[in-house]
Amino acid sequence: MLDFFTIFSKGGLVLWCFQGVRGPAAACTAPVNALIRSVLLQERGGNNSFNHEALTLKYKLDNQFELVFVVGFQKILTLTYVDKLIDDVHKEFRDKYRNEFQQKGTLGLLNGTFDFKEDFLHLLQEAEESSKVRAPPVMKTFEQSVKSQKTVKSMIETRGEKPKEKTKNKKNKGSKKDASGTEAATVPSKAAPVAKQNPPTSAGDREELTKDEILQKNREEFFKRHMKGGEKSSKSPKPETQKEKGKKPRVWDLGNSNAKVLDYSNSTTNGNTETCPAEEFDPDMALGDRNREPGRLYDLDYESDEEEPEEEKVAQNPSKPGAKKGGLGGMFGMLKGLVGSKSLTREDMDSVLEKMKDHLIAKNVATDIAVQLCESVAKKLEGKVMGTFTTVTSTVKQALQEALVQILQPQRRVDILRDVMDAQRHHRPYVVTFCGVNGVGKSTNLAKISFWLIENGFSVLIAACDTFRAGAVEQLRTHTRRLNALHPPESHSGRIMVQLYEKGYGKDAAGIAMEAISYARNQGFDVVLVDTAGRMQDNAPLMTALAKLIAVNTPDLVLFVGEALVGNEAVDQLVKFNKALADYSMAQTPRLIDGIVLTKFDTIDDKVGAAISMTYITSKPIVFVGTGQTYCDLRSLNAKAVVAALMKA
Amino acid sequence: MRVCVVWRLLRGRKSSRRAVLLLGLCDSGKTLLFVRLLTGKYRNTQTSITDSSAIYKVSNDKGTSMTLIDLPGHESLRLQFLEKFKAAARAIVFVVDSVMFQREVKDVAEFLYQVLVDGMVLKNAPPLLIACNKQDITMAKSAKLIRLQLEKELNTLRVTRSAAPTSLDGSTSGGAAQLGKRGKEFDFSQLPMKVEFVECSARGSKGDEGSADIEDLEKWLAKIA
Repeated sequence: MLDFFTIFSKGGLVLWCFQGVRGPAAACTAPVNALIRSVLLQERGGNNSFNHEALTLKYKLDNQFELVFVVGFQKILTLTYVDKLIDDVHKEFRDKYRNEFQQKGTLGLLNGTFDFKEDFLHLLQEAEESSKVRAPPVMKTFEQSVKSQKTVKSMIETRGEKPKEKTKNKKNKGSKKDASGTEAATVPSKAAPVAKQNPPTSAGDREELTKDEILQKNREEFFKRHMKGGEKSSKSPKPETQKEKGKKPRVWDLGNSNAKVLDYSNSTTNGNTETCPAEEFDPDMALGDRNREPGRLYDLDYESDEEEPEEEKVAQNPSKPGAKKGGLGGMFGMLKGLVGSKSLTREDMDSVLEKMKDHLIAKNVATDIAVQLCESVAKKLEGKVMGTFTTVTSTVKQALQEALVQILQPQRRVDILRDVMDAQRHHRPYVVTFCGVNGVGKSTNLAKISFWLIENGFSVLIAACDTFRAGAVEQLRTHTRRLNALHPPESHSGRIMVQLYEKGYGKDAAGIAMEAISYARNQGFDVVLVDTAGRMQDNAPLMTALAKLIAVNTPDLVLFVGEALVGNEAVDQLVKFNKALADYSMAQTPRLIDGIVLTKFDTIDDKVGAAISMTYITSKPIVFVGTGQTYCDLRSLNAKAVVAALMKA
Repeated sequence: MRVCVVWRLLRGRKSSRRAVLLLGLCDSGKTLLFVRLLTGKYRNTQTSITDSSAIYKVSNDKGTSMTLIDLPGHESLRLQFLEKFKAAARAIVFVVDSVMFQREVKDVAEFLYQVLVDGMVLKNAPPLLIACNKQDITMAKSAKLIRLQLEKELNTLRVTRSAAPTSLDGSTSGGAAQLGKRGKEFDFSQLPMKVEFVECSARGSKGDEGSADIEDLEKWLAKIA
């Protein structure tokens, strides 16, 4: 059932491989590489399964000997024994080859032959059998069941005329069953309770009313006993009984009333109580909070504040007993940690990870991401052997620091000038689009980036595709004028370095962008910077408009502008923007956000968590950082400095 | 007495750099080269997520041994591991995938640039070998072509990287160092360290069973030991 099972070292050597249903050995390297790149290297290791094309991959890390165990099987299958199988294989393999790992180190891995096939097949067989054992038991035949032993008379319930018909039908059905006497009898026996419902419908109204009356009476008693507001719930049986009538014509409550009754213009209340169903008017519910002063406009309720302290309390409570346990065991643990080599367990790390998670959240990292990050670090450290004189805290901090630096490292090259030079060689302009929510600093940073490009000798065309916000075009015109004053054409051999392409307000942004790009190509501009209107990520029509602009014009770089002040919102913004871009595009591989511009970085002193949230969600690099409102306030991200600021107490 | 101590200290510092680093992009063949150099056998490999190191006995008359360190090539990890091991580097082997070179030339040049402008690398100036791997495939580019293309690309990168916006804490992204001589086209001979190009094939022309085609690499390692 399994496609493959590989065991390889973290250094890259495949120690053992099992080909299940798959063909050549090379077929298992591609999905495993994808697993490594997307999960382990991007610190998404919290969840231990991963989907790649048609396969599901489950993995387990052995941090003591630096091994990775991966199993792959078809996505459509749901194999329940896989988790247990991986654990068993891990234990077996580790115990069998423990000497080679510990004594010989890397050369042991290189030279050793890992003949694990028989053990693995044995474990696989055990796992498959254990899953089969839990198959549902065979259903009993009617003859075997207890019901067939009972006499019909003993099952009569005192209900008047109805039971006779019931028993009659049941007898008929029973004789049919005896005649057939196969396992299919279990099906008619199930149909018997359903058949109970049918005879009443054919019998008539009287019997049905009696049954319904009884039902209703029972319900009323039940509700009176347990709940208040029984009148409201007594309303609910009524429509149910009406449904059970079958093909009776529906009687509308207000249908019989005439126009006079439906005329509400005179009466003070909504209709009269005779024609409307008895609706319980709850004045408290209608008015809401009675404590409010009538006529005063209250501010938005900050419900988020009420929820957060609860979360903190919940978080603190588990950590408190953990701390207590740690207090006693911590002494011995410390001594052990100082002297010998101790391997890390989950319990050791939990309290430290909780603290680190709270610390990250205090530094403005989004909550989900802080949780996922701590999970991933925990998975990476579980079972690792600590060196002498290292405490759990320092190991966890070190691992978290490495993970954060890893996240902030760009996954692809970030060199815009190089790409602009390439586009120059092909005689076409390099198009950059700026998108983001309202008020993050798109136009300001666009001006800064154009200043930087002009300083490096590239001519820029600014396309004013923000046709909505009042003053957007004037803002860009002012920037253009200033930049031209700083870099007059005379100092660049008569070339106008920056120009504005605008068509006023109210026009279609995608059309303006397309015209701007062809204008730039004709006039020989090197770069086109497209400024779009700010939009909320929930606003579906505006998101579609943005996606259309990007899909139609296929810019070389799509930059998402986000401010460093944003907290948990960053996750929502980026996810929704990416989703909108992906949904609209017809292409196989849709154009998503290529890079992030982090603005207003001077307003946060060391609460730099937004950088982590944004890069984690998109796994795209932070291309620029804006640190002010003048043209020189453009920086590039330094991963180590940001992580240092993040980890600072 | 004091001279002896000082001399021993000086010698100690030099001998503490006994590592040969295997660097390169992802999928360039570093781990397989590592295996071939150490054991001569062929093994299947996956993307490395951590470094591997082992003692390697050079095949010269002195029989000196060095530590061979294979670093991961993935973008998120490469700089971190380079930081860790660059101080101990006695020599650097930069592995290049000769088949994918045309498509990856910018990424190769960027990584090579980052290695070359690193302060400690410039100070120690360890000898650099650029191993053009995967020569067993017919579409592989020759070492000469790779050298020319890299020189052109690094020439452009000098300009663009030094013009990049300064980093948040004030340090420039490309380092204060200028690669090669200003005003002249970039050439590998302008660097403070010795740079050589060799062709090799970790898989070998005879497939998995045969030996690898790495004699030039081994000879170079013997030379610098």
